[in-house]
Amino acid sequence: MKLFNKYNRINVVTSILIFLGGCIAFYFVLDYVLVKQLDEALETEQAEIIQFAEKHNSLPEIINTNDQQIYFSAVTAPVLHKRYISQKDWNSHEKVEEWMRKLIFGITLDGKNYQVSILKSQEQKKDFLKLLVMIAAGMIAMILLAGYIINRVVLKRLWQPFYHSIRQISAYDLQKQQLLDLPATKVDEFTLLNSNLKQMASKVEADYHTLKEFTGNAAHEMQTPLAVIAAHTESLIQDETVLKNHHAAIATIDNAAKRLSRLNQSLLLLAKIENRRFELNEKVEWKSLIAQRLQALGDLIAVQQLQVTFNAVPVTTVFHQHLADILITNLLGNAIRYNVEGGSIEIHLNDTALTIGNTSLLPALDKTKIFNRFYRHPSTKADGNGLGLSIVQQICNEAGYTLNYQYANSRHVFSILYHNKQ
Amino acid sequence: MFSFVKNFRLKLLIIEDEPSLNKAMVDYLGSRQYRCESVNTYAKALEKIECYQYDCIVLDIMLPDGNGLKLLEHIKANHKTEGIIIISARTELDDKIAGIELGADDYLTKPFHLPELNARVAAIIRRKNLHGSNMLVFEEIQLDVPGKTVTVHNKPVVLTRKEYDLLLYFIINKNRVLSKNAIAEHLWGDDMDMVDNHDFLYTHVKNLRKKLEQSGAGDYIKNIYGAGYKFSIA
Repeated sequence: MKLFNKYNRINVVTSILIFLGGCIAFYFVLDYVLVKQLDEALETEQAEIIQFAEKHNSLPEIINTNDQQIYFSAVTAPVLHKRYISQKDWNSHEKVEEWMRKLIFGITLDGKNYQVSILKSQEQKKDFLKLLVMIAAGMIAMILLAGYIINRVVLKRLWQPFYHSIRQISAYDLQKQQLLDLPATKVDEFTLLNSNLKQMASKVEADYHTLKEFTGNAAHEMQTPLAVIAAHTESLIQDETVLKNHHAAIATIDNAAKRLSRLNQSLLLLAKIENRRFELNEKVEWKSLIAQRLQALGDLIAVQQLQVTFNAVPVTTVFHQHLADILITNLLGNAIRYNVEGGSIEIHLNDTALTIGNTSLLPALDKTKIFNRFYRHPSTKADGNGLGLSIVQQICNEAGYTLNYQYANSRHVFSILYHNKQ
Repeated sequence: MFSFVKNFRLKLLIIEDEPSLNKAMVDYLGSRQYRCESVNTYAKALEKIECYQYDCIVLDIMLPDGNGLKLLEHIKANHKTEGIIIISARTELDDKIAGIELGADDYLTKPFHLPELNARVAAIIRRKNLHGSNMLVFEEIQLDVPGKTVTVHNKPVVLTRKEYDLLLYFIINKNRVLSKNAIAEHLWGDDMDMVDNHDFLYTHVKNLRKKLEQSGAGDYIKNIYGAGYKFSIA
């Protein structure tokens, strides 16, 4: 439920209740006042009748009018107390039965007792009640209508800055390094919200950059010690006695240093792509690029006796030569690395997509995980660093290409859709 | 140019602030045909460059008291003719483009194999060496480097591109044990870790050895405890 609806519901219900209460109270007050006025009029009439009776020692002649009727009736016992009664009675003038206010009192003339009844119509009260109900209903309808209109027109405009902020936040991507457009508004709450959001975003951004910088610097700083390890391993193997006894250990050290260095370079590359350090403004001809890479990898393909099928038409996109190279190298590298001896690689390139499929001992990979950093299939040989596909995906993201993975016919197929082909 | 420029040792300047790496480079390159001088700061490097002439300078970009690229600018501004190879902890592209644009001859990312550095330095010096011969000789084996051809006992031997590169690498790093990793990385670069064994290297070494033997050359390729190879007479 929207905040305003929630607020409005309470507001409307309370308003209606208060208003109804007011109407009821008003009704009783007015009723009281009206009855009192009637009673005063009846009393005036009584005084006139008594005055007439005392003066003329007879009862006055009665002229019944629309709203006033007078009856005299002889009674045996004198009427001692005057009484006011409200009751339904026959209005002889109007010829209808209606609510009447009645004053009953007694007059004694020449020893005879009379009871005098003066009736006045109370129909005004009924009219008044009708009016009151109509006014109440009208007011309630207006309260609801006003609420609706305020919601529709005014509130939508009032909440505009709020929805603007929400849109900005949902479109916000930390990696894209865009600015949050959260202007000051006329509403204090929204301005407060925006300024806090901005503060939060810039804090997050700053932390994110610090972290990335740290990753980059840490990776850089590691390269020199790694170079020291590599250089001294090299010196160590020159001593043939050492080599004879420790060549396995030395090779392990050398390999580990190499792997660490590759890992560093991959992390640096990822950081650099994320930081948009590459401008995509070079023409890349994919067919010849793939052909070149296949040629360079020829020895590695041959040693595993892989069958390579390469179907391609020339495709040129505006991209980055080095990134394209990494992209192809990583995909082809995986196709070779995870292949089986005597397996195959199929490469298809057309105007819309590049697909690279390969045979492998690995089962279908988890689509939700393969592009995650450091993800490696549990049964894989541990020579990759688990960053290759993350890099490929990062590059595709950067270029606006779509990278897909499918497992079909015992083949792992990666495809890149060129959406922004030019 | 090693064997043919007799009685003359080429002069190298190594600029690297990490002492142990500096020493390893001096030791390795010193064991080749170079006379090495080394410094570990920008200031000292500048002093050396101003006073002496070198054949090649190995330049680390990140120095405690300055940027190696500035040094490179200085060298080029003074029309010095030294060959320059940059070694840097930063990955390619960062400094490579800047370095090459400023006139460096080559670029090597840390960590690297010392035989690779040696091969790169040799290649730079060979390119710079306009006067001497471009023949590389090891006993009866002769390499025409610009023509990429090999003769044994003056008879041509047909080698594949990879076999030729392998032989060149062996001869430049002769008498040293070269790890399989170092050789594989020289020949295939980063691609070599796509396969999990070095069989493909073994195949190339085997073929090269066979071709050299068939053409009457001695068996100079020694397998050292399965860890690597050494190209030497003894």
